[in-house]
Amino acid sequence: MNWDLIIFYYLAIVMIFSSVFAIFSRHPVYTVLLVLVMIVHQAFLLLTLGAEFLTVVQIIVYAGAILVLFLFVVYLINLRKETRRNVFIRLVSLIAIVFLLFGAFLIKNLFILISLKPSFRAYLPFSIEEKSNVWWIANYLFRNYLLQFEIIGVILLVAILGAVFLIRKVKTVE
Amino acid sequence: MGEVIDRLISIIIAAVILLVIALLHVAYLTYAERKIIARMQQRLGPNRVGPRGLLQPIADMLKLLTKEDLIPYGVDKPIFYIAPFISLVCAGTGVALIPLWEKFVLSNINVGILFILALSSLSAYGVILSGWASNSRYAFLGGLRASAQVISYEIAMSLALLSVVLMAGSLNLVDIVNAQINSPYKIYLIPQIIAFYVFIISAIAECNRVPFDLPEAETELVAGYFVEYSAMRFAIFYLAEYFGMVVMSALAVTCFLGGWVGPFKVPYVPFFWFLIKLYFLLFVYIWVRATLPRYRYDQLMGLGWKVLIPVGIINLFLTAFLKLIF
Repeated sequence: MNWDLIIFYYLAIVMIFSSVFAIFSRHPVYTVLLVLVMIVHQAFLLLTLGAEFLTVVQIIVYAGAILVLFLFVVYLINLRKETRRNVFIRLVSLIAIVFLLFGAFLIKNLFILISLKPSFRAYLPFSIEEKSNVWWIANYLFRNYLLQFEIIGVILLVAILGAVFLIRKVKTVE
Repeated sequence: MGEVIDRLISIIIAAVILLVIALLHVAYLTYAERKIIARMQQRLGPNRVGPRGLLQPIADMLKLLTKEDLIPYGVDKPIFYIAPFISLVCAGTGVALIPLWEKFVLSNINVGILFILALSSLSAYGVILSGWASNSRYAFLGGLRASAQVISYEIAMSLALLSVVLMAGSLNLVDIVNAQINSPYKIYLIPQIIAFYVFIISAIAECNRVPFDLPEAETELVAGYFVEYSAMRFAIFYLAEYFGMVVMSALAVTCFLGGWVGPFKVPYVPFFWFLIKLYFLLFVYIWVRATLPRYRYDQLMGLGWKVLIPVGIINLFLTAFLKLIF
């Protein structure tokens, strides 16, 4: 058994279980925390592939910004009543069946992966040893895909401006 | 297999040594803070335990360890238990990435500066969760304030650090120090003076220190987000705050003050200059606490969003422009 595989299985199992529990948990704060666990493990999965820049960006953007905002929203609504309801329980059987089908598919793929016994570094598309991960990403992003990058930037800016427009105070004429 | 275990053991030993040194620093930082503030306020400060009160932090630690661990009725227990540890881990892990010396850095990774930012953004969880899980109005308000504050000031801090990254051309902390040594001014404090001020102000806000200690404002919120905590769990929050101060100061030393380099070499103590600079910045933290009154909440948010972030962005553009020319 090589170390890469042990780490991979640990990360994969924790990710699958935390995602499942996040779906089944009725308490929104626990759901957010389980998604946090999932995202951190996903970040470390990227680390095993040698993508340290993506790891850190994943933690900063998803765990540090987006999930904190989710938690903020959950924080501001009163959930004491809603957590006691049993609405979700009826759906459990349906979700379980879907999940089992999906799980079977995943396990099939997992067996293929075991039979390969890869050293994960062998899958790297190019050697990141000579230049750092950051260099390669910057190179691709700002040389080959500059236009797409700028378009995404403009779209996000439009979204922000839209949000600011929606929450602005309307001045009434006196 | 054996090779991996050998490496693991050597890493663990180095980590434990670093952790013990950092913990001692944190413990005596509390003592230094009490002594310096006492001096500035014409008092004596702790002077009973040991000569000049030097054993005071140890006595405090023992007291907090042996106190009863109270869990109030109605708290959300699992989250209440883990919240202080989230705070401590996120604040303390940053120490591993700081290069104390060219040859002594526990984990020399290519994205060191970003990793510290990631950890500081994760430390918001400890505060928010403890405020929520306590099921108390004071803690709740403290948690709300803290999360808004940490998220806003993080942006200004990242912008200040980005201009340093732009000048050094690397995200690796050792490379940043080496780039500073090779630059004409030797330290980035002179060309990046604006970024330095932005960084220091946001670092104080990130650590929830006076004058930005709104989340734990005694006069309004008793103790803010950790009001329901007692004994060891309270001590862990306290430790996390001081660890945050140490890490932020060490980051400022690395990014702006030239790390381990000084005017002349001190034999046998390679990290002499690093520690001197670190102690100076920690003194500034305490000095600011003794000097300035607390901000109002809208002033705090206004300073973050309307002053520091625009200044940071302008500085970033200026740096990029100048780097393009020269």
